[in-house]
Amino acid sequence: MSPQLRATALIADDEEPMRAQLRSRLREVWPSLDIVAEAGNGVEAVALAGQHQPDIVFLDIRMPGMSGIEAARMLFNRCHLVFVTAYDQYAIEAFEQGALDYLLKPAGGERLKTTCARLQTRIGTRPDNIERQLSALLAGHSKTAAKPEYLRWVQAQVGASLRMISTREILFFQADEKYTRVQTEQAEVLIRKTLKELADELDPDEFWRIHRSTLVRVDAIEEVTRDLRGRQMVRIRNYPELLEVSRGHAHLFQQM
Amino acid sequence: MKKERVIGNFSALGFVREVGDTASHLWWRFFDWLAQVPWRKLMVIWTLLILLGATPFGLPKQAAAFILISFGLKVLAGGKRKAELEARAASTQAGEESLERRLVEAQMAALQAQVEPHFLFNTLALIGQLIETDPPQAARIHEHLIAYLRSTLPQMRARGNGTLARQIELSRAYLAIMQARMRSRLAVSIDVPAEYQSASFPTMMLQILIENAIKHGLEPKIEGGRIDIRASVDGSTLQVDVIDDGIGFNLHAADGVGLANVRERLRILYGSRARLEIESLPEGGTRASIRLPYAPDIFAGAPA
Repeated sequence: MSPQLRATALIADDEEPMRAQLRSRLREVWPSLDIVAEAGNGVEAVALAGQHQPDIVFLDIRMPGMSGIEAARMLFNRCHLVFVTAYDQYAIEAFEQGALDYLLKPAGGERLKTTCARLQTRIGTRPDNIERQLSALLAGHSKTAAKPEYLRWVQAQVGASLRMISTREILFFQADEKYTRVQTEQAEVLIRKTLKELADELDPDEFWRIHRSTLVRVDAIEEVTRDLRGRQMVRIRNYPELLEVSRGHAHLFQQM
Repeated sequence: MKKERVIGNFSALGFVREVGDTASHLWWRFFDWLAQVPWRKLMVIWTLLILLGATPFGLPKQAAAFILISFGLKVLAGGKRKAELEARAASTQAGEESLERRLVEAQMAALQAQVEPHFLFNTLALIGQLIETDPPQAARIHEHLIAYLRSTLPQMRARGNGTLARQIELSRAYLAIMQARMRSRLAVSIDVPAEYQSASFPTMMLQILIENAIKHGLEPKIEGGRIDIRASVDGSTLQVDVIDDGIGFNLHAADGVGLANVRERLRILYGSRARLEIESLPEGGTRASIRLPYAPDIFAGAPA
């Protein structure tokens, strides 16, 4: 640890008090480190790093606009990176595995000294290529948002307002001429999206197509019965109307 | 032509089926009655039937047949049927109890899931920083955090929290902390007329809506924004709105545990008389509204 070594740094954190905290701690531990800029979000961090070319960037992970990990992917070959987080169950594990530098908020004490000593040995050297670790980290991070590819909310125009209906509230969708009827326990609304579009966008484990014109939420099915003509009919929980299962989709309920 | 006949046949079949249904329904009504009627009362009915059968208008054979059949049924199946009926009544009661248990479970889940570690650690880090730079502000944030934890942690939850006033107080503590952290990126306005403050309002629902608005609407927005909390009464319905001008709705983001939990508890507590509505605003942002029966709660006890 050589407090006299000169270097430049940038601090990125969306919360101003936390930037001030890190700044004052760094001043104690490494007085000759020059904080050339502070950023309040990921986009700003990338822009300011381009402008100031600092040796080190301290990156908060959760930031608006662009997360610290996304920003890191644009910066890793230009400067040494240190991640800063108050709590992040996925990232901390990944940091340990990927041998990335990180600090826990509020940063300070021996831990900050160790990190600074390590950084000082690297000033003037080329930053490690950490692209692979970052890709793994980013993948792990987006996994926490659980299957983001499926439609989880349906938008419906109700009067003057655009209502958001959670797919968990929906009992079934039924094609109705050029509209699609959305039935919830409490209401029935019409949307313009076609049944085909919905079938493509919804989670196929959440909604089943039981008929050319019907998509039903699997969890809402109470029982499947046969009517007098031998057709399979689906009874929906808390709903009086029965829904017909067409021959082509009868295999869905074969084992029941 | 041919099609019509098919439909005709079909409705005739339906009619026969209906007659059958009605007959079987009446039979079971009679059977249930027979199973439950006391022997004494049955004997009185038999005596009346014998007297009636003895008159010139009576039908002595039918009366005798009825007495014989009802005696036989009562002896053979009455006990079993009675036990069945009692079991059914007991299971209905058990159903009500399980509904109550589900409510308690849903409430516990709502409360336990609530204190996000991310929030807690960031707030503690803030207090640590403020102790050095601005001790009075550190003391204030510290107090807010205590108030927040007191009403959020299930072990700490005091009775009489189920009013709108208490719920807003809890949210004020949370919002003050978030304002200290986000500074100028978060503006807050609360407009709840004094006369609605005593209305009963379930715990942690307003808080879940506010946390959602900040977490998904305002925190991810670079320039931040504002959150408005409003209450209004329309007839016998109380409506509480949480409006933000954040980044708006992600149609592919899973409906969080929080919102699903609010919906579940509203259903258990109020059935179809309450609802949670979420709306995308044309100027950007989101409005989340809870509508439930308006009950000015003079004793400030009710649904926790």
